[in-house]
Amino acid sequence: MSLLDLLALLPILILVFAGTTILMVGAWYKEPRPLIAGGILTALLAALAAGMVEPPVSEIAGLFSAGAYARFFTILWSLLAAAGLMLGARFVEDKKIGAGEYVSLVLYGAAGMALLSSATHLLGLFLALETFTLAFYILIACNRDCEFAAEAGLKYLLMGAVATGFMAFGIALIYASTGSLALPDAVTQLTTASGELHAWGLLGWGMILIAVGFKISLAPFHLWTADVYQGAPSPITALLATGSKGAVVAALVGMLAVSGPIWHDLVELLWLMAALTMLVGAFSALTQKNLKRLLAYSSVTHMGTLLVGLLCQTSAGLAATTFYVVVYVVASFGTFAVIASLADKRGEPMTFDDLRGLGYQHPVRCGVLVLLLLSLAGLPATAGFMAKFTIFHAALQSGYIGLVVIGVFASVVSFAFYLSVAMLLFKPDESASSWHAGSSLEHAVLAVCSSAVLLFGLFPGILFDLIGRLLP
Amino acid sequence: MNDHLLSLMTFFPLVGMLIILFLPREADRLIKTVTLVVTIIVFFISLPLAFDDVFATSSAMHYTEFVNWISVGDYFQMNYNVGIDGISLWLVLLTTFIMPIAILSTWHAIDKNTKGFMALALLLETGMLGAFISLDLFLFYVFWELMLVPMYFMIGIWGGKNRIYAAVKFFIFTAVGSLLMLVAIIYVYYYSVQAGVPFENGFSVVHFAQMDIPAHLQTWLFAAFAFSFAIKVPMFPVHTWLPDAHTEAPTAGSVILAAILLKMGTYGYVRFAIPLFPEATMQFTPFLALLAVIGIIYGALVAMMQDDVKKLVAYSSVSHLGFVMLGVFAMNLQGLSGGLLQMINHGISTGALFLIVGFLYERRHTRLIADFGGLSKVMPVFATIFLIVTFSSIGLPGTNGFVGEFLILVGAFESELRIFTVFATTGVILAAVYMLWMFQRVMMGKVTNPKNENLKDLSAREVTIMMPLLIFIFWIGIYPNTFLDKMTPALENMIKQVKGKQQIAMMVEDMDQTVTQVTVND
Repeated sequence: MSLLDLLALLPILILVFAGTTILMVGAWYKEPRPLIAGGILTALLAALAAGMVEPPVSEIAGLFSAGAYARFFTILWSLLAAAGLMLGARFVEDKKIGAGEYVSLVLYGAAGMALLSSATHLLGLFLALETFTLAFYILIACNRDCEFAAEAGLKYLLMGAVATGFMAFGIALIYASTGSLALPDAVTQLTTASGELHAWGLLGWGMILIAVGFKISLAPFHLWTADVYQGAPSPITALLATGSKGAVVAALVGMLAVSGPIWHDLVELLWLMAALTMLVGAFSALTQKNLKRLLAYSSVTHMGTLLVGLLCQTSAGLAATTFYVVVYVVASFGTFAVIASLADKRGEPMTFDDLRGLGYQHPVRCGVLVLLLLSLAGLPATAGFMAKFTIFHAALQSGYIGLVVIGVFASVVSFAFYLSVAMLLFKPDESASSWHAGSSLEHAVLAVCSSAVLLFGLFPGILFDLIGRLLP
Repeated sequence: MNDHLLSLMTFFPLVGMLIILFLPREADRLIKTVTLVVTIIVFFISLPLAFDDVFATSSAMHYTEFVNWISVGDYFQMNYNVGIDGISLWLVLLTTFIMPIAILSTWHAIDKNTKGFMALALLLETGMLGAFISLDLFLFYVFWELMLVPMYFMIGIWGGKNRIYAAVKFFIFTAVGSLLMLVAIIYVYYYSVQAGVPFENGFSVVHFAQMDIPAHLQTWLFAAFAFSFAIKVPMFPVHTWLPDAHTEAPTAGSVILAAILLKMGTYGYVRFAIPLFPEATMQFTPFLALLAVIGIIYGALVAMMQDDVKKLVAYSSVSHLGFVMLGVFAMNLQGLSGGLLQMINHGISTGALFLIVGFLYERRHTRLIADFGGLSKVMPVFATIFLIVTFSSIGLPGTNGFVGEFLILVGAFESELRIFTVFATTGVILAAVYMLWMFQRVMMGKVTNPKNENLKDLSAREVTIMMPLLIFIFWIGIYPNTFLDKMTPALENMIKQVKGKQQIAMMVEDMDQTVTQVTVND
């Protein structure tokens, strides 16, 4: 690895080394505030480095890309880590969790996500995936007061281990049949000279798909989602729901963009999976009585919609998917941020009983929550509408009319549960209790999320043109 | 100012909403006043449109505004493209006219969370006006969806006992329809880009005439549009959300819903579905006309059987909107202008009826017909107004309802829908039966219930609310040309375009048949 490679890797190095330094300092110096401030600054610095420092090489050690697309997601995940730390500050302080560990794990997680989104090699993909998954195993279970946290951590660990197994085996099979782990060779070599497909290689891709299915909770691999979301503290759920899933999808988009169609005969299977994921997510969310569980199932639906975009395997589809990822990340992060900002000694308001009439106690934040939920539901004038719209548009172009109709149907169902939460918040109810007023850091995060949702909803062209230029 | 009159009118309520959001929650009276003032200002902004004679002479879009809004690559464009012609003119004015009345009617009826209600009402006004003035199909969709949310909350938070059920039902019904429409919109757009239709100005109503979508696609796309609009109208058999929504909604909500929101469906047919898919319209006309007639008779029969005044009025809407649909699908000038006029009429008279039901409910907190009787002795002013509105709803000559229904029936009789017209006419008789019977049971006879003996007659505020509606009931009834003249050029132009395309399609079909016959003969 040359010096130039290191320079290209600068944002990741900042995250990892500063994370380690904070971990070390945190071992002796227990004051949480400076440590968290250091973490936030580090993440912002990494984002700045990714944006400002022109990478001298386009590929790092044959494993990761340093192209514009990879940089974009490096910036996004670094900013997300900064926002996640801003949300976590009060939580860490109140629960007396080791700030050094917390901050460093979040930074490692961000590094993993950034690497994953820029992977151009299956080994790089595997390494990056494990990096952030390991960080999350700990973070999910870090609140030892919460009865659900340990369960959630263990569930995520077990599912993660299974997924890792599938992933490793799949990669081995692909190597056996193509002789390469680098993209696009690992895909193009799948087809033999006579035009036939390597069966083992295809099986390998299938297994990678199962691992991906676990990570981004596609049905039927989604069963862990609700429990983990509920058990993890909201600042972590926010990262888990957005970053960890978004990074995997971004990696898939990157791979598809580099190597062209990779799914060949798997298309029918993926079609079914997308349809199933959208419907199962929507209908499961309908019966939930807990906001975090509801959001978990709603994220399942969103992942199904993203899979529709990925299935198109066209440039329009990939652009739409990337747009959707960004919009989903912003809106979904915001919803968990609202929950986190309301949390106090009693815990987090998440059952429907907690939420009833909450809008009259905390009008601004509940208003923001409604806006974000409307964006997740995909109502016009919010970013969610344009996201959904472009995905369906791309899918129709690729001829997936059936999937679009199913997606629309799932959207109608999701309207029902998103709006029922919105209505619940503003139900006239005198008994609603008041929760924490929220710190200024949390309010800043909410302001950014809600204005981004409106901005991308009213002027999606800004983001869309950018993505169009970025896609490799 | 004329350059941006439509934008000013549409977005002024939004400004009002922002002001209201910053007022303290306890300042109940202040919030109501500000809302009322805002809606009145909007009405005055829109008023010059009514006096503009350009609509009587030209069928083109006027007051157009065009701003490039969203463009994605070379395959998608969405523009802020607005304007009005004779078709949308009166609907826009109806909206700005009804809103202050609806707000004024809430003066005492809404006493909890006034701030939220008024903010939503203003947001709703922006949505409705935006939908009527949109020329870009996507923009229309954006406003169309924007209307759903405030109405959903209005019913769900300020409604009656079963409000949640009604609100969810309302939302699911309309959302299913509108999302199907979205798919169809995307498909039409995608198809047109493929076919090379020029889109320098986005996907505009003005371009519809140049488009040529193959017949087999038209069938499906029209079905999606028609389904979405049919839910909104509402046509039989997808009308079931309406009685629930109306019964549970607060008075102002019912008035807005009946007077304006229902018109979105019929307007959608006239503005989008029919011009976009003329050939499919031809195929579907008998079917839709059949549904319209079933709606007329079924709505009337069910209305007759109601024991709740508000439900009765709600079902009468199903019947009245059936007439509108019949007129629209007659596809001639009488039918269409009758249909369009009847949309306005229904807005005025049913809006008035819901207000009247609201007055009764505020006094007695019941809406059951059996709880009333002999009210005309206690409340003479109320009785007079109620009777006039009842006559207007029945369509007595001299009131607005007569002109609209008469034109529709004449138009439909002259078209190929003659047989349907015969059955539809019974609806007029049935309307007289259920309205007059209800009026008799509520207002006439002796006061049987002691609670009704000391009811107060209408207050000055209530009379003020009703007065403008009464004026228009008679104005349209006696001199409808004020309104008809300005619709005619736009409608004639539309009929010409649609009929022209339908004739070409029929000629092509005939030629195909001839060719087949020739081949068979060989």
